[in-house]
Amino acid sequence: MLNPIEATNLSRSFGDIKAVDSIDLSVSSGEVFGFLGPNGAGKSTAVRMLTTLLKPSGGSAQVAGFDVVKNPSTVRKKIGVALQDAAIDPLMTGNELLRLQCVLHGLPKRSSSVRCGELLERVGLTVAGDRRVGTYSGGMRRRLDLALSLVHEPEVLFLDEPTTGLDPTSRIALWEEVRNLNQDLGTTVFLTTQYLEEADQLAERIAIIDGGKIVREGSPSSLKSAVGAPTLRIDVSENDLPSARTVMNRFGEERPAQKNRIAIGLISGTPGITDVMNALADSGIEIQHVELDEPSLDDVFADATGRRLEGGKA
Amino acid sequence: MSSGNAPHVPSLAVVFAGIHRGLIRLQRIPSLMLPAVLMPVFFVVAFSGSFASIVELEGYETDKAVNWMTAWAVMQGSAFSGMGAGGLAGTDLENGFFDRLRVAPTRPMALIGGLVGYCVCRALIPITAVLIVAFAFLGADMPGGALGIAMVYLSGIGMAVVMSFLVLGIVFTFKTLKSLAIAQIIMFSSMFLSVGQAPIQAIEGWLHHVAAINPITNVIRMCRQGFLGEVTWSITQPGLIALFGMMVGTGIWARIRYKKVDA
Amino acid sequence: MKNNVFPQVVKLSHRSILGMLRQPQSWAPGLFFPLLLAAVYSSQFSRAVTIEGFPFADVSFLDFVLPACVIQGVLFGSTNSASDLAADIENSFMDRLLVSPVSRGSILISRLASAFMYGVAQATILISIFAAFGANIAGGAPTIISIVVIAALLSVSMGSFGIAIALRTGSQEVVQSTFPLIFVAVFVSSAFFPVQLMEGWYGAIARKNPLTWVIDPTRRMTIHGFSWNDLGQSLGIILAIASVGVGLSIRQLRRRLVRAQ
Repeated sequence: MLNPIEATNLSRSFGDIKAVDSIDLSVSSGEVFGFLGPNGAGKSTAVRMLTTLLKPSGGSAQVAGFDVVKNPSTVRKKIGVALQDAAIDPLMTGNELLRLQCVLHGLPKRSSSVRCGELLERVGLTVAGDRRVGTYSGGMRRRLDLALSLVHEPEVLFLDEPTTGLDPTSRIALWEEVRNLNQDLGTTVFLTTQYLEEADQLAERIAIIDGGKIVREGSPSSLKSAVGAPTLRIDVSENDLPSARTVMNRFGEERPAQKNRIAIGLISGTPGITDVMNALADSGIEIQHVELDEPSLDDVFADATGRRLEGGKA
Repeated sequence: MSSGNAPHVPSLAVVFAGIHRGLIRLQRIPSLMLPAVLMPVFFVVAFSGSFASIVELEGYETDKAVNWMTAWAVMQGSAFSGMGAGGLAGTDLENGFFDRLRVAPTRPMALIGGLVGYCVCRALIPITAVLIVAFAFLGADMPGGALGIAMVYLSGIGMAVVMSFLVLGIVFTFKTLKSLAIAQIIMFSSMFLSVGQAPIQAIEGWLHHVAAINPITNVIRMCRQGFLGEVTWSITQPGLIALFGMMVGTGIWARIRYKKVDA
Repeated sequence: MKNNVFPQVVKLSHRSILGMLRQPQSWAPGLFFPLLLAAVYSSQFSRAVTIEGFPFADVSFLDFVLPACVIQGVLFGSTNSASDLAADIENSFMDRLLVSPVSRGSILISRLASAFMYGVAQATILISIFAAFGANIAGGAPTIISIVVIAALLSVSMGSFGIAIALRTGSQEVVQSTFPLIFVAVFVSSAFFPVQLMEGWYGAIARKNPLTWVIDPTRRMTIHGFSWNDLGQSLGIILAIASVGVGLSIRQLRRRLVRAQ
């Protein structure tokens, strides 16, 4: 059987700008796939193409076994979509929106009221179901949006930045929900995010997108170990910077870092830190601050793009 | 895999859901209706009052201005109600909810039909309000009887459909609420360049020719006939043909522009 | 600081006018609708001048509605400057002005001045277009200048009520919602048809509408030629309207300043 999401050379340009530049994707059934990248990397454009909302300017994509351009309606029957910003009509109540969604997906009236009740319970909105969405908090809106995308029990679920702008508690609650969905129903989840932690927590496999191109792909752990050595960062005064850099470069390859800070991939691993400290002390360099980090997805991102994601350490 | 299913969900249910949603919103912000009701009511009062003596001229076929101007106000109210479709679609496009509608496996015409149906329901309110004011306070006559009233509602509803399609096409093109201003200019121009306020015999110069070929002229005549005399097939038929033609034309326009939304 | 009020007024007026030019949706309807109405009415009601009791003989309906269409077009924009002022209050630009040593009066005067300039520009454009389409303005230049000045000053005096509302509420929405009132006021007057031919309570209201007293003398000048008497009557009524509106604006500005302290 064909994978639920297959894309080949998928591209989309807006004028001269290549928002998505010839990407290949393959997500297998029951997988949670994370699409990680900074703002403007092309994540949403890719999702809009995969969900039939935007026509590709090149390449092709099959979702749930059907071509997104040739059979958009069939694809739409099989996917659930929660788009960025949880854009929901604020004047309507959660219940009304769920019922509307049931009609839009052709669910019979009798089963849909049961379904709506189940879904509201699932996302913890039973009490708020008859309140207008305008009165909901950000987290409640996202959960309702998630419920809306589930009314027809989709085979593939697309979540475009599901937690952007949420507070940490709401974020964790939503992660829990996505995990449960995936485990209970075996729904394949395609999730875009600009948060490293989110990709790390939720996704079994991730693709890092930057400037419309996929720059890395694999499971978070394999990607991290591919970057290799842990990152050692030290802060020194501006005067010491050149000599410290010379010393540090003996112990590993330099990585991108902030001003007055030097970062290397420590080849000898964590035990090797003593040697570096001694060597710096021998050269008379005063160390202001030291950090040692096991590789993170941020390191993977930095390794691939030469830049740090917002919120990542540098 | 259940690929044997029809690719679309039943459209009629989607149309009714769309109408239902529009009416729910209307009930929650009733002030949306205020201009759409007050404007045509003011029109029937103001036009009947300002141009009270205009009916002395040849061609009006009535001795009361209100008998002439009520149909004009009804048409304005219906057309203005049609703007509501653009207002709702524009709001949805601006806040992103339209994507949620679009990503459902429904026929585009079913979504459009829901918006248009909502406007038809809306249009009934100003039409009725204008009729009440015209009969109760301005002394309008209705020699055409019940059939004449039916003609008023029929042409009003038809006009609301045509204007809904028209404005939806414009909003789908520009994807902003601001583009409603363009729609309003087109709406007012096409309405004014007709026999809305004066009979064709009284209109001179270039406007005579424009009003004569403007299909809205036929619809207004159909709407107005019951106020002036018996309802006749010879006036009703051109009105129905004009409405049908305009519905098909503007419907195709709206459907074509809908495709532009994902561009 | 107060000795250089004039450059401040010029600077602030300049800003107001630029703001307007950049929003075509605020001035385009004021050009479009008067032209549409004039074009339609002069064709549709061309024979209305033959109705018994029509106050002017041997006149084209275009000449008859010309002053009213100019005034209507200019009034379309009369809420613009008030709406911009409300926007300034909404986005706190007003506060920035108030903490600066800008004279308080120049905040008000610049708004009124820009509304006047706007009215002059719009009236001039409208009259030029009407003239190109064969309108006949008796009395030539003095009448034309009178119409322009009357239209612009009327817009300012009507706009001053909007400014009072803007200062009072600080809400663009409220200011813009007063627009239909202006529309109603213009319609229930002699603007599009002689009040002599109106009947019943509608005619009674139209005859007592101050706008009728401004429009009628302006129309007499358009048809019969310039007259100091008619100009004086129009300006007198406008002055009366303005004194109420500007008075209210000053009161509301003071209120706002007291609250700001």
